[in-house]
Amino acid sequence: MTAVNAPTLLRATGVSKSYGSLEVLHPIEFSIKAGEVRGLVGSNGAGKSTLIKILTGAHRPSAGDVWLNGRRLQLGNPHLMMDQGIACIYQHSSLVPSLSVLDNIFLGRQPTTRFGFLDRRTQLQAAQKLVAEYRIELDLLEKVESLSTVKQKEVEILKALALRSCLILMDEPTAWLSHSEVRKLHATIDTLRSRNIAVVYVSHVLDEVFDICDSISIMRDGAIVWEGPTTSIDRPRLINIMVGEKLGKASLESLEQKRKPRGTGDIRLSCHALARRNIFSDVSFDLYSGEILCFAGLVGAGRSDVVHAIFGAAQLDDGALQLNGEAHRFRSPKEAILAGIGLVPEDRRRDGLLLAHSVADNLVLAALKKVSRSGFLSQKRRRGLALRQIRNLNILPSNPDRVVSVLSGGNQQKVLIGRWLETAPTVLILDEPTVGIDVGAKAEIYGQLRALRDEGRAVLVISSDLEEVLTIADRIAVMAEGKLVSIHDAGAVSREELIAKIGGD
Amino acid sequence: MIGRLSQLGGVWLGRPGFGLSASLIALVAIFAILSPEFLHIDNLVGVVHRVTTTGIMAVGMTFVIMTGGIDLTVGPVLAISGLVAFFTFEGSASVPLSVLGAIGTGAAIGALNGAAVAYLRLPPIIVTLAMLSIVRGTALIVGGPILHQLPEGAGYEFIGTGFLFGVPVSVWIFLALAMLTAFVQRRSAFGLEVAAVGDNERAAFLSGRPVRLVKTLTYVICGATAALAGLIQSSQVYTASANFGEFGTELDVIAAVVLGGTSLQGGRGSILGTVMGVLFLGVVSSGLNILDVPVDVQLIAKGLIIVGALSARAGTQGQI
Ligand SMILES: Nc1ncnc2c1ncn2[C@@H]1O[C@H](COP(=O)(O)OP(=O)(O)OP(=O)(O)O)[C@@H](O)[C@H]1O
Ligand SMILES: [Mg+2]
Repeated sequence: MTAVNAPTLLRATGVSKSYGSLEVLHPIEFSIKAGEVRGLVGSNGAGKSTLIKILTGAHRPSAGDVWLNGRRLQLGNPHLMMDQGIACIYQHSSLVPSLSVLDNIFLGRQPTTRFGFLDRRTQLQAAQKLVAEYRIELDLLEKVESLSTVKQKEVEILKALALRSCLILMDEPTAWLSHSEVRKLHATIDTLRSRNIAVVYVSHVLDEVFDICDSISIMRDGAIVWEGPTTSIDRPRLINIMVGEKLGKASLESLEQKRKPRGTGDIRLSCHALARRNIFSDVSFDLYSGEILCFAGLVGAGRSDVVHAIFGAAQLDDGALQLNGEAHRFRSPKEAILAGIGLVPEDRRRDGLLLAHSVADNLVLAALKKVSRSGFLSQKRRRGLALRQIRNLNILPSNPDRVVSVLSGGNQQKVLIGRWLETAPTVLILDEPTVGIDVGAKAEIYGQLRALRDEGRAVLVISSDLEEVLTIADRIAVMAEGKLVSIHDAGAVSREELIAKIGGD
Repeated sequence: MIGRLSQLGGVWLGRPGFGLSASLIALVAIFAILSPEFLHIDNLVGVVHRVTTTGIMAVGMTFVIMTGGIDLTVGPVLAISGLVAFFTFEGSASVPLSVLGAIGTGAAIGALNGAAVAYLRLPPIIVTLAMLSIVRGTALIVGGPILHQLPEGAGYEFIGTGFLFGVPVSVWIFLALAMLTAFVQRRSAFGLEVAAVGDNERAAFLSGRPVRLVKTLTYVICGATAALAGLIQSSQVYTASANFGEFGTELDVIAAVVLGGTSLQGGRGSILGTVMGVLFLGVVSSGLNILDVPVDVQLIAKGLIIVGALSARAGTQGQI
């Protein structure tokens, strides 16, 4: 824990941000001490990323000042902020995959020799010193693309350290990490704290926040509504402050449920010995109508590859697939969708959203037949569909014509889910459906999935979040290193057993 | 009420086409002041008339560019379709058959381009660069180096030189095509699919859109419009030649599309913007003509104006 009387490192006063007449961040006061780890929590669209981006210089605030070590900073300039020692780690990696760890660390500001060539020796020595000092295990000459996600985060941290950063901002750094990787990241944060580096930690996973943070700021509707040491608040109260009494209660209730392994007893999707060379093999399971089957495992266990292969979006070398008792082998997502399968992909920016298009266009994309007559779109139906999902999933802002790229991360995720709900698939596959979604919205989405299940649809959820798996699963399949290890009835397996099966610890 | 109006104003100002239409009006005003005859109705119709072939090709090109592709074959396609029309007419003396033959040829070349891009996953710039060479070569084999005189009074020249209600037929064709394709682009499932492919191809694919078919079709459309432009041009000058649509044709077309606000990365764009871009280029060159600016200086001026207009737009769109 930080010394209470440590000096204030950074102070933001009256900082606000407006887009046109819309103030998304009201004038706020925010300060953090050296060596403090501050959790920044709040529902989707509360303004967390906006505050972070102001501190990184990516956004220029509409008003307000930021002081670092008592000096006022010139705002709205990312390079300047970096030079001042403020670094940021985003949910999506900002590294260049084809370069080595070392090159990434010094990217853009390599020490050069007298003749303007890169000075690799100095680089290597500096990097080795940092790696030793912060006890990070990394092969500096390995290419970034061959590293696991958590290792990539560590490279980003190293990059920040090489800059002599005194404040590291982390906007949902754990969104793609498994629980053991989260623990590794937290260990690194502990080291940072002991070296007097301050960290702002944004996450929707409250357990993480309680685990690592010294203090917490709760944001709601563009304002900081509560602030204090972690020890002075508990989980239920935090949720209440964050999303309000009603949603908070719904969120707690969503934890209790009746499980229905094998649902109605009818097999919807039957997979036998699916295999793809070097990726996965011998994956056999049945998915029943009226159940939620969760695929647990580590990131990289091959779960996404399996469902993409089922869906016709990736190659399937071997195995048999039956949908409603009929043999199928889908050659494209189009065929799979026609047969009644839906897939919410995991990486919404890469695989899901049309970022330059409106919320409405994104929502209708998989169900164009529904909103068009002989090839032409009906504006009325398009709008109707969009408004229905906006209401259904509580997407904010609720304007169907808003470009999807300006929505907060969580609301973008809801748009993606809405697109697939609208196709009314008999088998719905969701790959990490609640990454970046706040506790209230999570409860809503769990509610949606259960409603689908109760309608007799078959739901398959891939999740690396064990809490989530234990909350919604009727049955749990565990995958590790491209193999389906085991399938359990959710009520008959303990958390510890699962962790052991998942491996990686 | 006033709030409402200013809100409307805001919406209008924020539209991508606004900057371009404003500069178009400004440009017309400048030329009108420098040379009053510019505003004469005949001159204005003439301005549009001179850009019809570029405009028709630009409309087709817009679809290709919106998917993130590019088609460099429009010049040779224009030439070969004129030849196909000429030889079909010589053989059959049927106008509809020659029109069909010409446009069919353009569409077929487009289909080859599209298939290579969409199914073989080759880069559009390479595919169409190679095809540019192939089609030009074929045109030279088919047509030889000579000019082929079209027989007069056969009805064929009506396409290029006829008038309807005092306005050239080719201008009507351009306007009708622009309106039709604008409607398709804005209101059809295909239009959304084209933009979706350009915005995020993988997302479109995973949402069940027939990505490869959509891409191929955009090249087919582009080839067909280039052929239509070839028909109009050959009928305007009563000749067909393998050397029509010389180097630079495709650049004019692409410049018009990009000026019209269509992003070369794909995903964003509109036919209406393209029409504006075409008119803008037309006004620039006929204004410079009226002012008696020498051709070489005109080329430089045109280049500078294109860069200027593009950077002005990049400025209004803000961040990179
Ligand atoms: N360019 C923009 N134009 C208009 N509104 C914007 C723009 N960028 C962000 N917003 C709005 O600002 C609000 C705050 O967004 P922000 O990304 O900070 O939320 P967040 O707390 O990070 O949410 P999440 O947990 O979902 O990531 C949202 O309502 C968003 O729609
Ligand atoms: Mg955010």
